[in-house]
Amino acid sequence: MSLAAQLAVNGVIAGAILALVASGFSLIYNVTKMMHFAHGAVIALAAYFAHTFTSMPIAFPFALVLTLVSTCVAGELINRLVYRPLRTRKASSAVLLIASLAAMIFLNAAIITFWGADIKTIRLPYANASIEFAGIIITSVQLTIIAVALVLLLVLWWLMKQTMIGKAMRALADNKDVAQTVGINPEQLTTITFLIGSVLAAVAGILIGIEENLHPAMGTSLIVKGFAGAVVGGMLSVPGAVLGALLLGLAQNLGIWWLPSGYKDAIAFALLFVFLLFRPQGLLGKKMRDA
Amino acid sequence: MAFINYLIHLAILVCIYGMLTVSLNLAVGFTGLINLGHIAFFGIGAYTSALLALNGYPLWAAILGAALIAALAGIILAFPTTRLKGDYLALATLGFTFIVGSIARNWTSLTRGPLGLPGIPKYAASNQTLLWIAAGTLLAFSITIYCITKTRFGKTLQAVRDDELAAAMLGKNTFVHKVAAMGISAFFAGIAGSFFAHYISFIDPSIFGLGDLVLLLSMLIVGGLASVPGSFIGTAIILLIPEPLRFIGFPSALIGPMREMLFALILLLILIYRPKGIFGRVDLQ
Repeated sequence: MSLAAQLAVNGVIAGAILALVASGFSLIYNVTKMMHFAHGAVIALAAYFAHTFTSMPIAFPFALVLTLVSTCVAGELINRLVYRPLRTRKASSAVLLIASLAAMIFLNAAIITFWGADIKTIRLPYANASIEFAGIIITSVQLTIIAVALVLLLVLWWLMKQTMIGKAMRALADNKDVAQTVGINPEQLTTITFLIGSVLAAVAGILIGIEENLHPAMGTSLIVKGFAGAVVGGMLSVPGAVLGALLLGLAQNLGIWWLPSGYKDAIAFALLFVFLLFRPQGLLGKKMRDA
Repeated sequence: MAFINYLIHLAILVCIYGMLTVSLNLAVGFTGLINLGHIAFFGIGAYTSALLALNGYPLWAAILGAALIAALAGIILAFPTTRLKGDYLALATLGFTFIVGSIARNWTSLTRGPLGLPGIPKYAASNQTLLWIAAGTLLAFSITIYCITKTRFGKTLQAVRDDELAAAMLGKNTFVHKVAAMGISAFFAGIAGSFFAHYISFIDPSIFGLGDLVLLLSMLIVGGLASVPGSFIGTAIILLIPEPLRFIGFPSALIGPMREMLFALILLLILIYRPKGIFGRVDLQ
């Protein structure tokens, strides 16, 4: 019984990690209607920034702030230099998708060039204590990840439904022309979205970097699974995407009851494939445009 | 002499990737199917051919097996996905690439997983002979695909790309045409995969990587959609431009990632400034 409970807890941890990834990705998708796969690489970049800054002789919180700022700069640079020119010439969503894959490969390769291909860690200023409860082992970092994922779910729901920015974002997502006539500046709002998305990426990168160590390809595997989770939950609903990511992490970890653990990723992709074909709006999402 | 061998090596790679790009152009450029699963067909061909050859089957059987299994995979993928459009098709086919890669990593009793398959026999003893075979095959593929696009079938594919509804209204079975285009495209990709496996003589699941997929897309888009010579030129440009990096004196560990940065950058620049590519006649929809 405790094995099942431990698998379930591991599933919640994995799901929370994917939820951190899916939150920024689906926020950007909701506002700009583009699949920002390079979000995974931005998360990896944030983890490497955190590695560099925490190795410097500066206070730990200050290193985290530096990470946050540099990640925001990186995220907005991708928006400015890659996506904005494509939006200006009204490129199709498939072109933007391919551009985001290219941006992701570029960033991954840049990480190897600057930081090397070996595995790195983020140094914590305190010990990562593990807690044992009824035979289940969980570390304080893992508890933090779960807590942050839950808080994000609430904050994103509040942001999208209750704030002016969220309303403007939904208006822009709904109808760009009408949004413009009522005084919403799409480019400005897109920049704000990318900045919020980058903050989410920085939080994800720091926490995942502490939990799983850093390697250059981490961004790719994270975004693919985070994206699969977002599709399962519903791409057009930010809380839905976060919830879907949690469920996917749970499904992957409970799935290894029946399948070898190497098939964790295959479970995620198979679910992605099935949902894209038969329920593209996801579990919670609204009906999407004609697919 | 060493330099000549290096040039022959590059020329063989250009031929193999040329086959892959020109076959992808049939699906993406001529039929308008944004297929990100092509690298999976390439890998399926490579694995099929390698496994057949390593288990004692003759080379011709290995090549034919690679082509047929890849074509079958293409048809199977086309059945559920061709009703999707644009980025949805791209995502579903990308998911297919991930699934196949995941299987190659985990079906260790067949593929040896991440250890890969070493010692795949070569087609020919000397690379010079191999270059002639590869160049001949590339030429044959290019002519075949060029001819296909001039037939009634090929014209219908282009009609499906430009206006599927109109093609259907004229009584064309667009579904069958799209499935056939994917199957033919995958058939050629499987042969390219076989060439690759037998030339490098080692394959592992990294063949299904996103890096190679973006490399392939760069070749296709830089050369231009719906242009057979464009695919060849695009392949040559993307493969050859990073090569001088080797002679500038960068540490060898950096050459791989710098090469990836360079071709990702070229793809981005082309997408932003010249979306039709060099010889392209249609825009990516």
